[in-house]
Amino acid sequence: MSTPLIGVSKSILKIKELINHVADTCLNVLITGETGVGKEVVAQSLYTESNRSTKNFVKINCAALPETLLESELYGYEKGAFTGAHKKRMGKFKTADHGVLFLDEIGDMPMALQSKMLHVLQSGEFSPLGSDHDFKTDVWVIAATNHDLEESMHNKTFREDLFYRLNIIKINIPPLRERKEDIAPLIEYYFKLYKSEYPANHGTKPDSNIFAKLCDYPWPGNVRQLQNCIKKQMVLNSWTKVYDELPHEYLEDSPDIQTDEQPSETQPFSNHELANNPASMISQFVDLSTSSDKLFEDISLKKIKKMASDRIEKEVISFVLEKVGWNRSKAAKILKISYKTMLYKMTEFDIHPPVK
Amino acid sequence: MADPSRLLIVDDNEDILATFYEFFNSMGYEVKTAVDGFAALKVLRERSNHFDCLITDLVMPNISGVGLISIVKKEYPQLKIVAMTGYGDQPGALASEAQADIVLFKPIDLFKIENTVSELINPDNDKQEN
Repeated sequence: MSTPLIGVSKSILKIKELINHVADTCLNVLITGETGVGKEVVAQSLYTESNRSTKNFVKINCAALPETLLESELYGYEKGAFTGAHKKRMGKFKTADHGVLFLDEIGDMPMALQSKMLHVLQSGEFSPLGSDHDFKTDVWVIAATNHDLEESMHNKTFREDLFYRLNIIKINIPPLRERKEDIAPLIEYYFKLYKSEYPANHGTKPDSNIFAKLCDYPWPGNVRQLQNCIKKQMVLNSWTKVYDELPHEYLEDSPDIQTDEQPSETQPFSNHELANNPASMISQFVDLSTSSDKLFEDISLKKIKKMASDRIEKEVISFVLEKVGWNRSKAAKILKISYKTMLYKMTEFDIHPPVK
Repeated sequence: MADPSRLLIVDDNEDILATFYEFFNSMGYEVKTAVDGFAALKVLRERSNHFDCLITDLVMPNISGVGLISIVKKEYPQLKIVAMTGYGDQPGALASEAQADIVLFKPIDLFKIENTVSELINPDNDKQEN
């Protein structure tokens, strides 16, 4: 079952009204907003209220896949189109026919695929990789991004013509800190939801003191962070603890993250502890208990360098993600890597949000 | 004179909206205004068949001018539509595709717009006058 769009703020009510007015038009929609504000929830609501709700809702994340894979996922391929294409495969455009194709993270779509996408949107036709035929498609395209696409257009990383074609209807979801009146109904909703999933929990709703604090918190990870926080409460059974464990450096700051901030006081590895005991440090990467012959076989500086740097990278990425409420684009900015690299590293190091 | 022609003018710039309102009012039109596509759509759906012509900007929040034109052409095909744009070729091309009756590029002379509107609403009268 899809999550309903929850909120009583003016902006959410207006979005609900807008959805109601445009759900049957099937005009391209662009949904914008920070990570975790509920862009997919809005897309789902559009779909549910449209006359396409009996057909498929197909989602694809344009940032999660490498260019060539994204292309074959979108358009499909014929048998023998490339090495490894043993059989014909249907693309998302085909699966979504007469339904909805939700293009998440459209701002991360590579330029080459942007022009192909534009062509499909213009002509309503696409052709699978390795195919001689064009297929007619009738999909309702709903795209979402947390990038400022106008800025991306200026930087020439997003095509202007594609932008205007997608931006026929624009739904911007403001961050949670700008619509604090939605926090209460969101807590109410997720509390009920998780209560039914964790029936053993005898927890209560937050008291007025904690509640006021929760409403004051800036929620850099928006609704998703709030949702995770309530889920955590079901396990910890203490609102005070849950609140205390939220990253708090933002409370004094402006809502904007200081990207030049260095996480100095809490380094994942404590340097002097390791330096005082070299054997213990080495033992973290090499099995010292084996015979010396075997040991020297295993030791390669290159290998150890890679293991050590992977480990510290993993620690640092997890640390920063935790601090920004698992807002991946903010974490990427802080670490000065691209959003794509961030997603890649998260997969490589198997980093996941605490509860999902 | 017969009933005044009724216009709905849409632009997210309130100064432009006020200027248009004053101008068309003084030219004897009955004018309503809306600040974005969504507001305009609500006005239209409340009073369907009330208006003779829609004059709309293209780049606006929520429902863009292009979106508004697409919806309006489907629901009220008899309504004449003048699209105005100041954002280069892209939105203008999309507005033509959405079947706006005419697309004008900003800056536009108000008298020229009035001329266009009047020709669209009363093509026969104009022929007689000419």
